[in-house]
Amino acid sequence: MIGDRYVGRLAARVLLVAVVLAAALVDSAESQRGRRGRQLEEPDFSRYNTGYDGRFVFLRLRYNTSGSFGGYFGGGPGWAHDYPRAERHLMKLLSELTSIRPFMDGGNVLSADDPEIFKYPVAYLSEPGFWTLSDEEATNLRNYLLKGGFLIVDDFEGAHWINFEAMMRRVLPDAVFVELDPSYPIFHSFFDIDSLEYLTYGNYRSARGPATYYGIFENNDPKGRLMVIVNYNNDIGDYWEWSDTGFFPIELSNEAYKLGINYIVYALTH
Amino acid sequence: MTLSAGCEPSDLRHDAVRDHCIVLGGGHSLFEFWFKYPPVLFERGTVVFAGGWSWLALGLVGLGAVASVWSYFRAPARLLRRDRAILLAGRLAVLALLAFALSRPVLVVPAVRPQENTLAVLIDDSRSMEVADVAGDARGRALQRILGDDRSGLLARLREQFKVQLYRFSDRVERISGLSELSFLGDRTDLARALERVRRDLSRVPSAGVVLLTDGGHNGSTDLGEARLELAGAGLPVYVVGVGSDRLSRDIELSRLQGPSSALRGSTVMLDLSISQRGFAGRRVKVNVEDNGQIVASREIELGGDGEASTARIAFELRQGGPRLVAAYVAPEPEEQVRENNRREILIAVQDRREKILYFEGEPRFEVKFLRRAVADDPNLQLVVLQRTAENKFLRLDVDHEDELAAGFPKTRAELFRYRALILGSVEASFFTHDQLQMIADFVRQRGGGLLLLGGRRALSEGGYAETPLADALPVLLERRAPQDTAVSFHEIKIELTPAGRIHPALQLDADPEASARRWNSLPSLSTVNLVRSVKPAATTLLLGRAADLRDPMPVLTFHRYGRGKVAVFAVQDSWLWQMHADIPLEDLTHETLWRQLLRWLLSDVPDPVAVSVSPPRVPVGETVNVTAEVADSAFWGVNGAVVRGRVRAPDGSEKVVSLEWSVTRDGEYQGRVALEQPGLHELIIEAQAGGTVLGNASAYVMVGGESEEMFSPTLRRAALEELARETGGRFYRLEDAARLPQEVKYSRAGLSVLEEHELWNMPVVLFLLIALLGAEWGYRKYRGLV
Repeated sequence: MIGDRYVGRLAARVLLVAVVLAAALVDSAESQRGRRGRQLEEPDFSRYNTGYDGRFVFLRLRYNTSGSFGGYFGGGPGWAHDYPRAERHLMKLLSELTSIRPFMDGGNVLSADDPEIFKYPVAYLSEPGFWTLSDEEATNLRNYLLKGGFLIVDDFEGAHWINFEAMMRRVLPDAVFVELDPSYPIFHSFFDIDSLEYLTYGNYRSARGPATYYGIFENNDPKGRLMVIVNYNNDIGDYWEWSDTGFFPIELSNEAYKLGINYIVYALTH
Repeated sequence: MTLSAGCEPSDLRHDAVRDHCIVLGGGHSLFEFWFKYPPVLFERGTVVFAGGWSWLALGLVGLGAVASVWSYFRAPARLLRRDRAILLAGRLAVLALLAFALSRPVLVVPAVRPQENTLAVLIDDSRSMEVADVAGDARGRALQRILGDDRSGLLARLREQFKVQLYRFSDRVERISGLSELSFLGDRTDLARALERVRRDLSRVPSAGVVLLTDGGHNGSTDLGEARLELAGAGLPVYVVGVGSDRLSRDIELSRLQGPSSALRGSTVMLDLSISQRGFAGRRVKVNVEDNGQIVASREIELGGDGEASTARIAFELRQGGPRLVAAYVAPEPEEQVRENNRREILIAVQDRREKILYFEGEPRFEVKFLRRAVADDPNLQLVVLQRTAENKFLRLDVDHEDELAAGFPKTRAELFRYRALILGSVEASFFTHDQLQMIADFVRQRGGGLLLLGGRRALSEGGYAETPLADALPVLLERRAPQDTAVSFHEIKIELTPAGRIHPALQLDADPEASARRWNSLPSLSTVNLVRSVKPAATTLLLGRAADLRDPMPVLTFHRYGRGKVAVFAVQDSWLWQMHADIPLEDLTHETLWRQLLRWLLSDVPDPVAVSVSPPRVPVGETVNVTAEVADSAFWGVNGAVVRGRVRAPDGSEKVVSLEWSVTRDGEYQGRVALEQPGLHELIIEAQAGGTVLGNASAYVMVGGESEEMFSPTLRRAALEELARETGGRFYRLEDAARLPQEVKYSRAGLSVLEEHELWNMPVVLFLLIALLGAEWGYRKYRGLV
């Protein structure tokens, strides 16, 4: 559940949400036509997956986008945004900066109902505004999180929250979304991140609101284990993807890497 | 037919008593018939020839012999040479016998002077004398009957010769005036103490020895061997009358119960027990385990053949702290002869405190997260994690204060030895200095800590630990890898229990051992990057791993003792899969259970800098216990100049000071003794100080009274009693032979004696031999047609 402040912000942006929804409907209708005319191809990256060998492997969750717009922009469905450059770059930095020796060539892409996800206890979910879940996926992801898995939710903003929260409640019906401040241990697991202001509204990603970080805790106890971290109004995967091009200022990419590395070190130790 | 002492003709009407009565006293009658005297006279006496006219007689016999030889050589030629030889031999034998008789052989035997020697009669008054195995009668009753009253019986016969001093003994020794003072209620049989008492009493008076009537079940704290030597040295023979039978016909006995003396609360511990039986072969019995009176585990066991011990290991969890009286018992069968030996107890001091374990992990990996989760809400385990996240960068988790591990892995003994166990994850040997590696080995060898090495890309052989000071401490043999061989070889392995693992307390995943074994078989595969090829000779392998790409199963979990501590190697890199894997149900607790038990086992028996132990942990009332304290500083160097104050708290809350002094033989060892007078649980508390600083406190428990060994193995201990009799110059008698005792004690070598002479010429055997020889000669002549 999200706090009153968030509800207030939503109320202030009703018009914006309406526009976004309308656009989505139009886009959905377009995509329906497109499927009739030119079927949008669901990319299959499974051939690039690696087998389990005990190393850390970046896991990206895939979800079904066939019945909706699915976040198709930028060359693919929302779940695949920034793949594989984002994880390759993050793994490169992870390998160079920490003593983790991860699988370097991208990562694995699996749907949430795949039993293999349990071998990779850190998962990344992109564009949750377009997230869809079957019952099996919801159950499997719930088990994944409660057994000890960790989920990074990234690349969404504004009214995408509505879909994200709805889907998340199918996974964890009683989840409480707790806004995190920089004092929380995840922001100090490797780098000391004393401010969360760098990657926020007004910066190059130009999200429609200030970047906010929410957490879902085991047993909804903020002193317990963090199971899900939500980068709302943010897209750190985008920074990872384009960090080698100069598309974003290097300082911002650094901040995104700091977050990513901290998330992973935290997930490996907490 | 001879009736034994205490038996009346009317007893013969009762079947149970009849055999017993008829046999008594009949042992040597045949010998006495032929030789006129009992064997003891021939054993103790000397034969002398006392005839005044024996030379004349011998001359006549010699003349007869010469005449015989002459006459046979002059005999007619029809006599064959063989006939001459046989007849001459017979004749000479007759003449020799006559010579023997005519020379008046006399047996000279020292016999005690009547009523001038004291004889101590020691009677076993313990509870085991209530066992009914003497022709269906209780040992005590049978013994009383044999001893008889003042007018008849064994005691009366002894009194004819000796000044008899009666004693009863069990856990104490007392003079008694009559058999009516026997109660057969003593909780122990302290035979050594009883013998020592009578030796002292008899040392001041002339004594013929000691008569001991017992089943021989010595269970006192003093050594019977020493008492035996003392008696032999004092020249006091012990005449032992063994009461009872060598084996019971129907009995189940819980003959052994072993468990840890201390454990951390929440530990699963194993009780090892043996059940012996007679008369119940193949029967299934239920063994219950009680923790302070509450049943915590049960197991059905099929008993083996008669006399065979059936063994079992029963696991249970110690859920509460403090001293726990843990009992195992088999419900008595209705037809058992002894029902008191079906139950045994042990005392376990359950520590309810938080014990610190240091887990040093060289690379962030999921083992850290899931191991922390497994013990997160365990009130007795504090897992302090030092996680290397980058070169010279560490993440510290669950430390007590800001300074703890602030400089990374400990560099001093005091810093490392504050932990009770150490887990090394995937961290290469080159991370440590030589001194640090030596210090880790000393952590186990000297401090007595538990060390666990996990598998990983930078662990074991792959981590370059071969030929380091730590390699000596490990239970597995490491291989030195050349740089080109350092490529990691990954194997997915199916884990299986070894027979040792199946009964190991750390690996019990269920109270039911069968269910635990099934659970192990169903667990998903793990993986390793550390191929362990061989283990050291004294190591125990608990888990094996089979891989499709490995010809032989590899040791996965192996441990051994190293110095005061233990070292284990768990050569997998992802035990966390037993928590996360898709095949593991969400509510499954295998991973948590395994790690909590494994860590408790690693922590078991890890000493504190100041520790105290009591020996034995269970004593009868009034007994003295030995107290041993070990005092060391924070680096676990023994401290010899400490002031160690001890006190023992009795069940009623009263306290007694225990004085402890440095033993001199070992650094940091202090010893003392204290007698415990009250029945019940006593707590011993010590505090050690050096230079005005408190080095530490420790406590231990002693149970006084309660269960005794009296009714365990309650059969007649014949071998020990025979040895006692033999070593002291006495004799062992079965109860049914006890009637011979007075006569034989009369010829005891001890005490004031007088020489008795007994004529031997008129022994029936001499006359018989004479007639037999003459008859044989006549018969031979008749056979050969020479008459």
